[in-house]
Amino acid sequence: MALLSSPFAKKTNSVTQMMLWVIGATVPGLLVMIYFFGFGVLVNLLIACTTAIITEALVLKLRQRPIAPILWDGSALVTAWLLALALPPLLPWWMTVLGTSFAIIFAKHVYGGLGNNIFNPAMVGYVLLLISFPLEMTTWLPPQSLADNPVGPVEAVSIIFTGAASNEATIDMLKQGVDGYTMATPLDHIKTELAQGYRIPEAETAPIIKGLSGVGWQWVNLAFLAGGLVLMARKVIGWQIPIAVLLGMGLISLPLFFANSDYYLFPMFHGFAGATMLGAFFIATDPVTASTTPKGRWIFGLGIGAITVLIRTFGGYPDAIAFAVLLMNMAVPMIDYYTKPRTYGHAAKKRKADGGAQ
Amino acid sequence: MERSSFVSEIPIYEIPGGIHPEEHKTRSNQADIRRLSLAEELVINLKGQAGNRSLPIVQVGDKVLKGQVIAECDGIFSAYQHAPTSGEVIAIENRTIAHPSGLDDLCIVLKADGKDEWCELSPVTNIEDMDREAVLTQIFEKGVVGLGGASFPSHIKLKQHEGIHTLIINAAECEPYITCDDKLLQEHAKDVLLGAEIISKLYHNIDIIIGIEDNKPQAIDAIQQAREELELNNIKLGVVPTKYPSGGEKQLIQLLTGKEVPHGKLPADLGLVMHNVGTCYAIQQALTKGKPLVERLVTLTGDNCKKPGNYWVPFGTPVKHLVQATDSETPKRLIMGGPMMGYQLPSADVGIVKATNCIIMSADGELGMDQTALPCIRCGACMDACPASLLPQQLFWHAQADEFDKAEEYDLFDCIECGACAYVCPSHIPLVQHYRYAKSTIRNNRVEKIKAEKARERFEARQERLERVKREKAERHRKAAEARKKAAEEAGKKDAKKAAVQAALARVKAKKEAQQSDESQSKESQSDQSQADDNNSEGNN
Repeated sequence: MALLSSPFAKKTNSVTQMMLWVIGATVPGLLVMIYFFGFGVLVNLLIACTTAIITEALVLKLRQRPIAPILWDGSALVTAWLLALALPPLLPWWMTVLGTSFAIIFAKHVYGGLGNNIFNPAMVGYVLLLISFPLEMTTWLPPQSLADNPVGPVEAVSIIFTGAASNEATIDMLKQGVDGYTMATPLDHIKTELAQGYRIPEAETAPIIKGLSGVGWQWVNLAFLAGGLVLMARKVIGWQIPIAVLLGMGLISLPLFFANSDYYLFPMFHGFAGATMLGAFFIATDPVTASTTPKGRWIFGLGIGAITVLIRTFGGYPDAIAFAVLLMNMAVPMIDYYTKPRTYGHAAKKRKADGGAQ
Repeated sequence: MERSSFVSEIPIYEIPGGIHPEEHKTRSNQADIRRLSLAEELVINLKGQAGNRSLPIVQVGDKVLKGQVIAECDGIFSAYQHAPTSGEVIAIENRTIAHPSGLDDLCIVLKADGKDEWCELSPVTNIEDMDREAVLTQIFEKGVVGLGGASFPSHIKLKQHEGIHTLIINAAECEPYITCDDKLLQEHAKDVLLGAEIISKLYHNIDIIIGIEDNKPQAIDAIQQAREELELNNIKLGVVPTKYPSGGEKQLIQLLTGKEVPHGKLPADLGLVMHNVGTCYAIQQALTKGKPLVERLVTLTGDNCKKPGNYWVPFGTPVKHLVQATDSETPKRLIMGGPMMGYQLPSADVGIVKATNCIIMSADGELGMDQTALPCIRCGACMDACPASLLPQQLFWHAQADEFDKAEEYDLFDCIECGACAYVCPSHIPLVQHYRYAKSTIRNNRVEKIKAEKARERFEARQERLERVKREKAERHRKAAEARKKAAEEAGKKDAKKAAVQAALARVKAKKEAQQSDESQSKESQSDQSQADDNNSEGNN
């Protein structure tokens, strides 16, 4: 029997457990999404997960790594899961496959696999799809309560795999809301209206805008918030990054709103629109790519929040969680280096500017 | 586990990190302190304390009495060792010792005669009148070392007395399973407090703080009662919340004073000195009863231990004997110390040493640490658990890559190896093992570097010496050559004079000959000849 070294006591936790908790905590959000956007959400999820597991297994085999223990750590599944939750509900199947496999191969394994990747794989996959297929990636269905033709499971599968609906309804018809306009997300809608010279109070008269942000979306965000709070309570994720993300959004959006509420959205709208809650609680908290120092976690989260609002407000994309996360991922090694905590018994250190080089 | 409702008598500060592992303490702290049958053979490890090996002063065949000195302090940094029972020395040889390395070292093997007969003891009756040196000598000669785990010789720790204002008694006992300090306080609180008073007197009656975790309500009650009965009013109870590793020296100081021991300094630099409960008891026994340190309280516990509890165990008692005497099943793993910082014993034959506070006879699956390690996902759980505010994930990253300078930059040597990081790691990475590896490699490298440096200096010195010798030789040769040349020149000068004289003589001779042999020779040829001779003589100059 091999001699082991201390400690011999071990908390009964594991990476797999953490990953399963993350997946479990998205279930409320997932259910709300299915309710509002139809079964396409679920189909996307199944395509992404299957792709991820097959890709992961193949890459591990190519890299001559043990397949079983790493495949079952659940990390590939989480990547696929989070990516799928960010995709529009009727995205052609091959785009989902492309995005997922790109995330697993290039964002994860090219860097050396789990734990070594710099960028959040799900977001790399998402951004690849977003800049390659901007039209498909920004075409969301109208929430079903607004839609003339709700999408059932059969239609969803048919459209995703063949591009055509099973009955006489075409995709364009499905995408039409009650007012006959093609429906975008609330953030998309506001952006388009502003570009056309309208002001926010005018843009907000559209039927899709309602309550905290928009029909459906506010509930999706609330559900992800609820799941996120469970993860926090279970200590699967730290509380610092999500809070910092929301705080960062507020810090930028609140002054803008007070400066001119005709052109700048109310912070609450930012908080409950788009992928905010999914991003803050499930994506920004990816341990591998987030900052890990106590101060660094705050800087990382604040940066994501601030960049998201800046891109949403002044940039070319309606939502920006993915870009913000990737930009801050890039800054993590530097943030970590300069936010090293003070070790017990050491005086507060002043780091040299060239410290990284030595 | 039950928590004491006692409110700490001093303000308690926070420490960062820490964990709450399952305590497993009720198993061993219910029964009273007991004794087991004496082992037939005791294996006394001469390196049973921090520092150097003790020097044996007995020989094979010697009969010894309990308490008799069998090995002396090496005079620098070591401790006395005494016979734990009466009997005969049957061997002084290498045996497997209680050390994580599993290596052999010199041990005295004592065959017990079963009488357990004490030698004559020399108790001190007048501690009040003794001067500092006398007390220290008594502590030294009774072989007292720190019983908290490090076995640091107490007389050395007590030597420094400048500027010490507070004595902290470490009764935190934060490691799971271990309850020997808890039980010692429950049953012998008075003796412990008297021992603490002896130490306090060494520093002119400094204040005493007893740092104890709130999971020991009975011990806390016992201390209060003893303090009242003995009318000791310089003792304060600092009750800290149960959190591992509150009993680490640095951590307990931070909890009780809010201060941190500066990097590279000692608690004494903050005016503090810390001793373990067991040490206080040993000092009290050494002085008032004259009893040398020959046994200690050991917690025997674990799923396979059939009579868990705390026992007085003579040093050198083989662990095997403890397993048998408690009717225990063969343990899956034998751990000496706690599950967080203890080590797995290489064999059940090793003898108990002064540092042995606990033996865990674990069952299969009781102590898990053998899951396959997965990659680090940088979740930072280790960082949140680290009591030294290190970044364990970075230390691991650099240690794994053999980037030792980086690991040092991240304060590797401030790691106290408490194991909190590995305990919480969801990837089951044996983090502490990586840090130990990095530390020992760095230490070895330093030694190698010093050696290399010395070798280089030696080499350079040799080169320089050879160079110098060569230079001096060359110089000597040059001087000799010069001297020769000079001599030669001088000799040359003499030759020139001679030559000139000879030339002159030759000319005279030639003239004479010319005049004598051929008076008809032309005057021109005569002048030519003399000119040639002149040239010759010039050439010689």
